[in-house]
Parts: sequence; structure tokens; C-alpha cells
Amino acid sequence: MSVRDFGYSVSDQRAVDLDRKMPDELERVYLQEPSLRNCIACGNCAALCSAGSFTGFQFYRLNVLVSRGLLSELAKKAEACMLCGKCQMACPRGVNIRHGIMLMAQL
Amino acid sequence: MFHPFVLPFSIGFTVMLVVLAVRYAYWLRGLSLVNRKRCLANLFSIQTLRGVSEILRESLLHLKIYKTNPVLGFMHMSLAFGWFLLIVGGKLETWYYTGDFANPIYYAIFFRYFEPVTSGFWMNGVMVFFMDFSLLLVLTGLALALAKRIRKKLVGMQNTTRHSVGNRVALTFLWLIFPLRLMAESATAGQHGGGGFLTASFGEWLFSGTWAASFEVPLWWAYSFSLGLFFLALPFSRYLHIPTEMVLILLKQWDIKQETGFRPQKGLQAFEVHACSSCGVCLDACPGINLAHDAFQASYFVKAVRENREVQSLATSCLNCGACNSACPVGIHLEGLRLDCRSQIFEQSQFNHSYLPVPMVLWRETTEVILYTGCMGRMQPKTSIAFKALLTEAGISFVHIDEKAGVCCGRPLALAGAKDQAVKMMTYNRDLINGHNGKVLVTTCPICYRYFSEEYQLDIPVQHHSQFLWELMNKGLLKREMQTLKLAYHDPCDLGRGSGCYEPPRNVLSAIGQLVANQKERDKALCCGNNLGSLSLTETTRQQITAKTVEVLTQNKPDYIVTACPLCKPTLSKQSRVPVKDLAELLLLTKHHAKGHPVSAQQYQKILDS
Repeated sequence: MSVRDFGYSVSDQRAVDLDRKMPDELERVYLQEPSLRNCIACGNCAALCSAGSFTGFQFYRLNVLVSRGLLSELAKKAEACMLCGKCQMACPRGVNIRHGIMLMAQL
Repeated sequence: MFHPFVLPFSIGFTVMLVVLAVRYAYWLRGLSLVNRKRCLANLFSIQTLRGVSEILRESLLHLKIYKTNPVLGFMHMSLAFGWFLLIVGGKLETWYYTGDFANPIYYAIFFRYFEPVTSGFWMNGVMVFFMDFSLLLVLTGLALALAKRIRKKLVGMQNTTRHSVGNRVALTFLWLIFPLRLMAESATAGQHGGGGFLTASFGEWLFSGTWAASFEVPLWWAYSFSLGLFFLALPFSRYLHIPTEMVLILLKQWDIKQETGFRPQKGLQAFEVHACSSCGVCLDACPGINLAHDAFQASYFVKAVRENREVQSLATSCLNCGACNSACPVGIHLEGLRLDCRSQIFEQSQFNHSYLPVPMVLWRETTEVILYTGCMGRMQPKTSIAFKALLTEAGISFVHIDEKAGVCCGRPLALAGAKDQAVKMMTYNRDLINGHNGKVLVTTCPICYRYFSEEYQLDIPVQHHSQFLWELMNKGLLKREMQTLKLAYHDPCDLGRGSGCYEPPRNVLSAIGQLVANQKERDKALCCGNNLGSLSLTETTRQQITAKTVEVLTQNKPDYIVTACPLCKPTLSKQSRVPVKDLAELLLLTKHHAKGHPVSAQQYQKILDS
């Protein structure tokens, strides 16, 4: 039985592919701030974000972009952050979010 | 008056002078034009004399180190001041005996070899005694320095800097100089007579036999070699701090301003990083000592900068709590240096806050207090609620400007090295504040308080809520009775060391209970572990720092730990068994407090809800 195509599918580019080699820039971000890998995208950080109340900025989504290897969108999205650090106080996984943002904003 | 053994010393000394002159000229040329003009303008002024007096107090007598640690201070004093006395005494001696001030430098250094027996009026005795006394002073310091290497706790230090091989070699030459001088002078005294209480008795004891004659010249050679090699190593090792600290003191007295950017190989920053002696006083002051993976303490950071090594993780780990800054006996701007370094590391990091709206002002409401609780205040509304209840109690009108939506004050960005990018946020906040007609801006967050007062240049005064509450109590608008409460106060970094506000919160607490002391208070206070200054310190390390701080705070079994910062409070309460409260909360609590019966958690919640 063939799968019916409803016109929706995961685009190859956005699929999480663990075998794919990450861009070197992103590897470096993980190397310099290993705690980014601890993120489980729970969303606590976005729940109290100052920048998020003005824009669609959500850190956990940014972090998902890193694991998808989507370099181009990252820096553009990271630049909204005010670096106030509330997210870090709320993060249950101890991610150094502010450092992560500083590194992402460099890309 | 010449012997070939003076050559090693003379060569080493000359090379050192040339290298120093070249390096200093290069660094001075790197100063900004404004600063260079200041140098010239203040060169012949009272400031220079003040500088000389500070050099005497700090570079020779080491009074600041003496105040914090007498044994360590005495060690540095006896080495530096003792050697200084030897140099001055030597010059005076040659001047006195030859009647000629201008004689070769080596003549004073090796004077006893050329003139073993001196005679004169009573002055001769004074001279001979003075020289031996100075040598003894240096040797005492040397003995202490040796003891410090073997057991640092003897001189009251928990941690000392680990030095590189080059520095250890230079240290060995330095240490050899003085025992060799003693031996050489004693050998001469033993053979030819003369010498003071130290050298004469040593000479008689060790070198009086005819066999010892062959030791005399080799000992002088060895003394000259150790001097020459030390002087050769000086401009390339940490001992460069000896002359550099003196120049730095003069530069500061000439009112040189901090320069922008991170250029540690040029200008004022070059003088600062090379004035660091790696003495290690900052190590014991650091709350993160021996906890983090990297030894990021100021001493190691400055060393890495000096040696032009990779400093990224050292610069981003530090909590920027300022403890090293206030402990540094040389007065290096360690906090500023790190932030400048961060701004270089994150040069490429671009932020864009153009999405921020312009606050609309339809009507400038007149009020006494403009209350700003900051980002962190929004996470912990209890403090804001309590403070507002206190304002109502005192009959003060207020407007809480960031109750609904707030924008960060900008200091966290500055702490990450992106100070220039906080402009939009600052404009937003400034507009928000100016949109109200208030007499005073009060903030419950020390981070905001520091940034508002240092950077915003507002038309109205800025106060931290602890200062404002103390004013209210002073005016009699808030009345509290003394209670049987034991309170431990935790100094937030940005309020205490950062803004010099130590007394107001203590005054408030002393009015309602008994303040219990602890080991690390005021400018020595430990960081709670969650200062926004740190970017890359791991969660585990932060928690270890918190644990240490909580341990110190609960030493004397307080009923409450009180702090005045929305970052310290949740951080400490995560680990503390003793309840942690903000100053305002406690003040509100004591209103409802029956003597000696603390309010339970449920009751407290009711108070806040009402």
C-alpha cells in the first residue's frame, strides 16, 4: 500500500539527522558551551523572556536550530536577546544560555 | 677600582635598563593623546610628589598587603625595603668614603671587596651597622619566602600562584643574591678584617682560616653572576612588576583615565598587566577558587594576557564579583580588564533591539517614588509586593513602571562585553523613567541600581531599596521594634563592592534584630554563585560556590539569611536550610511579628496576599 501524499512532509533540510556532519561553526559553539547539549526544549526559558514579550524570540527553538544545523537562521534570531539571564535562573538543566547566545550571535 | 667579576652584574644591569627603556617608551607611546597630555601637564606638580610617597608606601613598605596579612606584608616589606636600604646605603657609603657622588654603580655594589676596612668618625660605625642590618632584613624576608614555598599556611595563605619555569629560574637567581652577598662579604671580612655585626662574625666563624682565601673571589663572582642573571631575567619575567608598579602608581597619580578597548600590549593596560606580581592575594579572595575546571583567577588571567596566550575561557568563566579587584594590593582594574577582553572576544556578536517600542507618554504622572524592579524582580514578585506594602505603610506615593512589561537595564549585556549594544534598551528605560514626574528612582535590584547610577545620567537621584528603606526608618515613617531575631546579611556584589553600599542594609537590619557576623563580609563577601558576570562557568561549579557561601553565612546559626538582590535570593535559597529573605520582605514580616515567634510560611503567604 502506497502512502498517500497530502502535500505535507518533513523537508530534508529541517529533519534531524544525527549522521550529518554539522557545520564547523556550530561544532565550535557546542565545543565552547557544551551545556547547550543538555537542553530538552522544555520551554521554561521562553516563558519568562523579556525579549520574547516583544518578539517571537524563544531560546529553546534557537537551540533546536543548532541541532538541525540551520546556521543561517540562528544569528538573525539570536540578536533579539537582551541577555538579562532570567532564562538561566529558570532552566532546569543548567544550560549557560547567555554564553550560548553570545556564541550564536557571532555566527 | 676594577675587578673582572663586576662584569656579569654590569652587563645584566645595563641590558635590563635598555630593555626597560625601550618597552616603557613603546607602552607610553600607546597611551591615548589625552592621557599623554595629562602626563606632561602633571609631570611637575604636587601629584608627582604624592606618587613618590605612594611608591614608598606600596612598592617598598607594602602597607596594603600588611593590613590584610601582616606576615605576608612583612615578607614583602623586608625584601623590597631591605634591598632598597642596601642600595641607598651603598650609594651613601661610597659617597661618604670617596667624597665623590658620581662613581660607577658596581663600586657601591661590591664596595666591601674594594674597601674591606673602612674608618672614620662615629659615622663609620653607623654605616657598617646600617648595611649589615639591611642585609639581615632582606635575609629575614627571604627566610619567610622560603617558608612560604614549603608551607604557605605559615604566612596565612590558602592558595599561592603556580609559576612557570622561567619565573622559577628568575626566582632562584633572586633568592641566591642575598645569601651570596652575605657569604662574599663575610669571606672578605674573615680575610681582611672589617665588616659589621653580621659579616664580621660570620667571617670569623667561617672564613678566617688561610684556606678560605681562595674562596673569596669566587664568592664575589657568584654574587655578581646571580645579580646579573636576575637583572637579565627581570624584564622578561614577572619581576618586571617591580619597576612597572612604580610607573603605574605615577600614571594613576597623574590622573590617567581608563582607555577603551582591549590592548594589553600597549598603553595603560600594558602597565597594568605587567604591574601584576602574581602575588596570589586575589586567589584566596576568589569565591570560585579550587572549584572550577580552569584556574580562571585574576592572577592566572593576567598572566595569560601578559604572555599573549589564549584567554577566552579564563575571561568568560569569571563571575565578575569584584572580590579580586578589591583585594588587589596593586590596584589593577581587574574587572574592567576582563570586560574589555570579553568585548574583544565577542566583537562579532551582533544584537538588534530595534523592535523595542517608544514608550508613549500621554500624561506625566507626579509621584514620589518611581519603582523599577528589574527583570529578576518580575520572577520573584514577593520582594516587589513587600516593598510596595512598606511604601504604602509609610505613606509614600509610587508608580511601578515595569510592573507589566520590562526591558533589561543593559548591565548584563555590558557584563558580556557588548556594552555598546545596550543603547536601545537604555533609551527605552530612560524614556520610561522620564515619562513620570518622580522625585527619586528606587530599584530593588543591585545590578540595575549600579547601571542606572553609573551609566544612565538621569535627572533624578537613583536609590537602592535598602537605602530608601533606611531613609524612611530614619525619618520615622517606618517604625519597627527590636526583636529577638538573628540575621545574617549577604552583601550582593553589585551593591557592596560595586556601589560601595554596605551600611544602609545593615542599619535597617540592626533596627529589627541582631546582625550576626561571619568570616567574609563587606568587601570580602563571597558571591552567591550566580552573578551574571559569568558566561561559561558550569552549573555544577556555580552550585559549589553557592554551597560555600551558604556555609559561611550560616556559621553563627542565624534565623534568616537576608539579602537585597533578586539574583542572590533564589540562588541561596535553593541550597540553604535557613530561610532566605529580601530585606523588604523581612521588614514587612517584622510588622506582623509577635516577639520571638517567627511567622510561618502559610501566614507569610497570607500577609503577602492581603
